[in-house]
Amino acid sequence: MDYLVAVLLPQLLHGLVFGAALGLLALGLTVIFGLLGVMNFAHGELYMLGAYAGIAVVGLTHSFWVALILAPLSVAALGAVTEIATLRPIYRREPLYGLILTFGLALVFREGARQIWGGDMRRILPPVTGSTPLLGMTYPNYRLFLLGASSVLLLAIWVFFTRTRAGVLVRAAVQDAEMLDGLGVNVPRLFTLTFAGSAALAALAGLLLAPVFTVYPQMGVEMILLAFIVVILGGMGSMGGSVVAALVIGIAQSLFALWMNPQRVAIAIFGIMIVVLIVRPRGFFGREGVLE
Amino acid sequence: MSRVVTWRALVAFGALAALPALPLTSKYYLLLAFDALLFGAIAMSLDLLIGYTGLVSFGHAAFYGLGAYATAILLERGVLSVWACLAGAFVVVSLYAAIVSYFATARRGIYFALLTLVFAEVVYTFFRYTQTFGGSDGIQGLPDAVLWRGVPIDTPERKYYLVLVYLAVAYAVCRVVVTSHFGRVLVAIRENEDRARFLGYSVQRYKMAACMISALLTGLAGAIYPIRSAFATPDLMLWTESGEFIISVMIGGLGTLVGPILGGVFFTLLRDKVSSVVDWYFIVIGVVLVLIVLFMPKGLLGLRRLVGSRPWRQAA
Amino acid sequence: MAAGGVILEVDGISKSFGALAALHRVGFAVSQGQVFSVIGPNGAGKSTLFNVVSGLYAPTSGRVSFAGRDIAGLPPERISRLGIAKTFQLTNVFPTISVGENIRVAAQSRAPDAGRLRSLWRVPDVEARVTELLDAFGLVAKRDEPAANLAHGEQRYLEICLALATEPRLLLLDEPTAGMTPGETKDATALIRKIALQRGLTVLLIEHDMSVVMGISDRVAVLHFGEKIAEGTPEAIRNDPQVIEAYLGGAEDGGTGSVTCSG
Repeated sequence: MDYLVAVLLPQLLHGLVFGAALGLLALGLTVIFGLLGVMNFAHGELYMLGAYAGIAVVGLTHSFWVALILAPLSVAALGAVTEIATLRPIYRREPLYGLILTFGLALVFREGARQIWGGDMRRILPPVTGSTPLLGMTYPNYRLFLLGASSVLLLAIWVFFTRTRAGVLVRAAVQDAEMLDGLGVNVPRLFTLTFAGSAALAALAGLLLAPVFTVYPQMGVEMILLAFIVVILGGMGSMGGSVVAALVIGIAQSLFALWMNPQRVAIAIFGIMIVVLIVRPRGFFGREGVLE
Repeated sequence: MSRVVTWRALVAFGALAALPALPLTSKYYLLLAFDALLFGAIAMSLDLLIGYTGLVSFGHAAFYGLGAYATAILLERGVLSVWACLAGAFVVVSLYAAIVSYFATARRGIYFALLTLVFAEVVYTFFRYTQTFGGSDGIQGLPDAVLWRGVPIDTPERKYYLVLVYLAVAYAVCRVVVTSHFGRVLVAIRENEDRARFLGYSVQRYKMAACMISALLTGLAGAIYPIRSAFATPDLMLWTESGEFIISVMIGGLGTLVGPILGGVFFTLLRDKVSSVVDWYFIVIGVVLVLIVLFMPKGLLGLRRLVGSRPWRQAA
Repeated sequence: MAAGGVILEVDGISKSFGALAALHRVGFAVSQGQVFSVIGPNGAGKSTLFNVVSGLYAPTSGRVSFAGRDIAGLPPERISRLGIAKTFQLTNVFPTISVGENIRVAAQSRAPDAGRLRSLWRVPDVEARVTELLDAFGLVAKRDEPAANLAHGEQRYLEICLALATEPRLLLLDEPTAGMTPGETKDATALIRKIALQRGLTVLLIEHDMSVVMGISDRVAVLHFGEKIAEGTPEAIRNDPQVIEAYLGGAEDGGTGSVTCSG
């Protein structure tokens, strides 16, 4: 019982927090893939830039809360510019070009960040300190805030996609991009806004996790690999599937960490993926023919 | 076999064979030439997948690295024969490639890229953290391999000729494959996978076979690398390495074989020059890649059209 | 009228997508050497029927047997190798390789090397078949053109060439004259009839344009809302009140011989 409360429960909560942030990332990947047909290799770098932009804003204003607004906005602006300049010209090409192009962008962003901010590990101090007794253990307040914030975000995204006209439109377009042409929608603008939106979500995830993890130029690489696994597991193109898979992976990762060293965890996560693919070749929620 | 041995190929390889005889060729440049030709050979192997079959592998570094480790482990244990090293790499890479290609070809399109990447990262992680194989330092200080008894591959000239012969053989294999019955089916799959199925082709089997051939040629190139460098490290398997292979193919031109060889050579020289001048070399590489995709999607030598002006993606 | 044993037997097949029943207990038999047509308004389930026979979908229930063998649920490549070839309603060729290469890759699928290890280095000689097909469809001059550059009618012919190159015993044609002008349609119809006769082919044809069907079919089945409502000779179908009802749905302009349905 002690073990449960002192070790297992906090670790489970860690996993949930991490999974929710991972879900923000994977959701952006899925939506962009569904809409633009591009698997965005630079998504991890947008996540990384979110954290660095946060550090920059905190340095100027000394306020994490201001950073929480400004950092995603600036990354969204970068995303919009990138989308217009590089992705828009290749929409009508084979998806492999999008993959290769965004790989190039990832190299540029990563190396750019290293040139600007250096290669050292950095940290952001949590804006909320202390801890709260909870279910017989004490849990850091910032992580509670993270849990709350990411739940609210995921809920807000869900509301956006199910309750608003714009959201329903995007969701429909993820299923069938051709129909947009017939609806008289300004397709390029919709694509740019969606790309900017998912960039903002990635940046937000990066900044929110920064006080818990460390910030360094390569941080996006590890996350994007996990996010790819999540997208595969969720069934490519399934938005709900991405969130569920992200939570599963987040929790699995943090529970495995109790019993094995980090490298083994990575391999175990991969083992889960293989088993799922053998049992359900299309992932949790993958449907035949979608986005193939 | 006249579809392989052309005058142009003979002249090109003849000129390359004469390179060490040039008075200006120092040891340094000979080893740089080794790297360039090896990179070219790998890019050519990858072109079988990207250019001919329409599959982008982001995990070729794992095939390359596994081949290198096979040689390194054998050399470290005193097995010095080049042939043993190549055979070892062949076996190891076949086993791994069979597993990867089975899963990665189970579904279409982008899925292949993602799964090859994820598999490769696991191999990287495994070697990076397994102390038996030297962890992050890899296996260093390897002895020279021998071609046969009494003929060690110790001088830059011998190393250079080893890679040149390998490139010639690999090129011949690729030429035969792409001009064969099988190669035509690969192009058909790239063009229109569904239609190929309705003509009676088991598309997944063809993709798996293409992936295996490409992986094996890359793995054998990897097996040659430690013979020149005397080490194998996990960094050979990093995904940026896979990215550099793709960049070489893109620079050279999809579906041409010769193009990617030139692309690999060009890329190696560029990396050598740029990285010794500026430390933001990855920005240069990234920008070059973006520009190529935007403005020269067929690559410098890409004569074949890969890009149709298809309206959106075709419905399934 | 050609007649032999039954080569294709579709027996009570149903196919539903979720709650939507696209086909409901449809059955018919096609004899060796026949031209058998399936007609019906758009959305009647014709394409679904084809997709079941050619292996794209497995039927929800029912049997499809070809030359005495149950093929329901087999993948398309297996069905193709058994001797059923399909053309597509929307032209579906290999766009950037030449017309000759298109047919070559289709023809070599029946070479003895196909699917074997030695196909890695051999180049099968299918020249004769390629030339013959190019000739039959008047595409000889276009041999080296990329398929994407062909005119619409020529692409439709190439589509049929690809199917024929696999030496099928049964040819499934999905609206082969879709998008053609009336003149082209007439030529194409005559050509299809001629080629089927020459090669002793059995043809299963889907059309919504009745005029195409009446000229070349030995037997016609009519689908309406996923069910077969009639089957018989073209004359019998032409005069079947249920068919007229389904096709015209109360419209005024009902010339019997040239009813065209647009949905």
